[in-house]
Amino acid sequence: MTSLTVVGRPDLPGGRPAAAPALELRDISKTYPGTNALTGVSFVLRRHQMLGLVGENGAGKSTLLSIINGTVRPDTGTIAINGDPVRFGHPTEAARHGVATVFQEQGLIPTIPVFENIFLGRETKFTVAGGLRRKAMIAEARAVLEELEVDVSPTALTGALSFGQRQLVEIAKAFALSRVYPVEPIILLDEPTSALSDHETAKLFDGINRWRSRASFVLVSHRLSDVFAICDEVVALKDGHVVDQRPIKSIDEVALHELIVGRQRNAEYYREAVQREPSATVALRATGISKPGHLRGVSLDLREGEILGIAGVLGSGKSTLARIIAGAEAQGEGDVVVEGATLRRGSRRDAIRHGIGFVPAERSVAGIIGTDTVDWNLTLPNLKQIALGFLGLISPRRSRALTVEWMQRLKVRAPGPAAACRTLSGGNQQKIVFAKWLARGVRILVLDDPGRGLDVGAKEDIYSLMREIADKGAAVLLVSDNLPELIGLSNRIMVLRDGVVSAIVETPKDAKPREVDVVSAML
Amino acid sequence: MAEVAATVAKKQGDFNLRTIVLPIIAIVVLVAYFSYVNPLFFSASNALNIGRQSSVLLMVALAGTVVILIGSIDLSVGALVTLTGILAALTVDQFGLAGATLVGIGVGALVGLVNGSLVTMLKVPSFLVTLGMLSILSGVANQISQGQSILFADSLLPDLVNGSFVLGVPNVIWFALIATAVLTVVAFRTKLGRYLYALGGGEIVASHAGVPVTFYKILAFVLAGGICGLAGVMLTGQVGAGTPTAGSSLLLNSIAAVVMGGTALSGGIGGPHRTFLGVLVIAILTNGMDVTEVNSFTQDIVKGFVIILAVSLTIDRSKYLFIK
Repeated sequence: MTSLTVVGRPDLPGGRPAAAPALELRDISKTYPGTNALTGVSFVLRRHQMLGLVGENGAGKSTLLSIINGTVRPDTGTIAINGDPVRFGHPTEAARHGVATVFQEQGLIPTIPVFENIFLGRETKFTVAGGLRRKAMIAEARAVLEELEVDVSPTALTGALSFGQRQLVEIAKAFALSRVYPVEPIILLDEPTSALSDHETAKLFDGINRWRSRASFVLVSHRLSDVFAICDEVVALKDGHVVDQRPIKSIDEVALHELIVGRQRNAEYYREAVQREPSATVALRATGISKPGHLRGVSLDLREGEILGIAGVLGSGKSTLARIIAGAEAQGEGDVVVEGATLRRGSRRDAIRHGIGFVPAERSVAGIIGTDTVDWNLTLPNLKQIALGFLGLISPRRSRALTVEWMQRLKVRAPGPAAACRTLSGGNQQKIVFAKWLARGVRILVLDDPGRGLDVGAKEDIYSLMREIADKGAAVLLVSDNLPELIGLSNRIMVLRDGVVSAIVETPKDAKPREVDVVSAML
Repeated sequence: MAEVAATVAKKQGDFNLRTIVLPIIAIVVLVAYFSYVNPLFFSASNALNIGRQSSVLLMVALAGTVVILIGSIDLSVGALVTLTGILAALTVDQFGLAGATLVGIGVGALVGLVNGSLVTMLKVPSFLVTLGMLSILSGVANQISQGQSILFADSLLPDLVNGSFVLGVPNVIWFALIATAVLTVVAFRTKLGRYLYALGGGEIVASHAGVPVTFYKILAFVLAGGICGLAGVMLTGQVGAGTPTAGSSLLLNSIAAVVMGGTALSGGIGGPHRTFLGVLVIAILTNGMDVTEVNSFTQDIVKGFVIILAVSLTIDRSKYLFIK
């Protein structure tokens, strides 16, 4: 093969019928302890098509991608590429069949030049007597980049490129693969636009439209507008199941969103019957909350006994709002007032002093110390309660007693207070994060996606816990990606779009709005 | 103390069990082997020897443990012992025992303050800050001493360190044991201790829980520096002079002891009680090879293998994404 050949291979070897889909998944299932990540997932990616894969956080998109690219092995089910059944034990085997992933968090090494990244792990082609033919590599890389009309020098240092350029390099890497193995690329794009400007996004989509005659694509995106801009078909995932696969032309944005979130909202599940009217007393007042590039002038009153929901798509600024109010964001602006006192900006300590508990979204990094025991985690902000005597030494007995008390109250399933937290299931870990603050008697709880990654049963426990907390008069700020959860639990929902408030939706217990009413303000 | 022991035993479950049992097995095996080769090894007087030889190492390893617990490292511990030892020798005649001890602890704490401040405020990795500090302190120690041992006339310091006031056990051993006990109580029963573990196990979690992260990180370095300062004074008392080479072997031996005891370099796991076991392994190994007349070059080779073997058995890999 010379460097001038067309990238990709329209002429498939072996004379297989051209009608065979590029990729077909049949009955793929995968379970992790405590969660059914995927159940009987089947879909078809036709040749030269762009298939959109959409779903909420935890719907199983990432697991599915990992299975397709060989990082994770499915428990059951089969994958076929160009009609041939395949079974990948390792990503390099998937690569040999043309499967390449362009990751959200980028898989290029920043400290080496572009051409080395393009051929990383596949240098044998350029090896002569153990040495690399550097010039040949550069020439080949340049040919690939030029053919794809990617304006990047093969000798540029990868780390010096913009995010968008690196993404194009990753795609070029996938095409370069198809020169090494005579297969047509199947390119998996994982949230490719989440870090791109509108201009860069348009450029990327331009490129993809030019390349689609030589490759097939799967696009995972939170942005439904991306899916509508570029996909031919869409697969909606929900709780590890495929809800539907259909041509993009047969559906509109609101209907697709309903497909994604559209489980029957179950009033029982969210304990709607016990939703109380909030008191008139304002527990927390936030004014002019901003963070450059994320959030502009958001103000809100959070009342005692109220669950105030915050809705918005990824990038709407809803998580930033939660962190600023909880004092966990260093660059936040605006005032948070509790009982007449203005809190120090960016100080978790001050926020805690004024009774604000915080349940962050990334449980394993920010919520729980996996190497510590349940009681060390739970008592971390509560050491005063368990200190005794004139030296103020901590009483291990009190530490355990306090922990056991809260484990019982929140029905935490764990071997005991001395169990290492990392051995607990996600739901039980989340209960401990809640218990940390409840044991402190906080009057305000800021929750950032508290149900993320939890199975249905654990979610139900967390929901009824939130009801109890609000019922006792505490104020709850609930940020969530999950619309039925927001509608079911909240007294009011504030909708954010591009960092500003786009709507306030009242959600009284007898007159819950439809999801469409909220979605229209989000998009 | 019984309650501390209970917490100690229960903390961290299975991983703990393995890392606490292995050093004990190592100790039993080593003792059995050396006693077999040379029956003199297994005697009360040799036990006291081992204690005398490893008391300062134990102090330094305890200092290292405090910093390693928060997930940082202090490479300046050995050089700091040398410097404070020399300062103690220089000041003891003029300011007396208490004065020299205060100078040692004070200078140690000050160096810790500088280390901790650079790590937290300038955000330079502790490995590099303390590597630089190691070089600075060695240089200063050599400048002050001109490469010579510093002798002193005071007899109170050597008498206090080398005397045996209780049960015929040299005081230096008592000091190290008391330091271990105090630090173990600090680790498990004080706010400081729990915060150190929290910082090492999950700094973001700690900061979300209202822990003043910067303050406690600096405090860990200050505490380590102070302990090293005290160790320097003890060492000078033990030797009877301040020597510019005294601390050179302490750094590597102390890190080996800390890790062998089961304190993870990634932070959040282990503790002073573990380091005690790690030091015991190193001390018995060194003394045993002396007693069985293994030459000192071979000793280094053997020790190196034992360290690699021990760490490969006890290290907790769950926190590492990649092993580098």
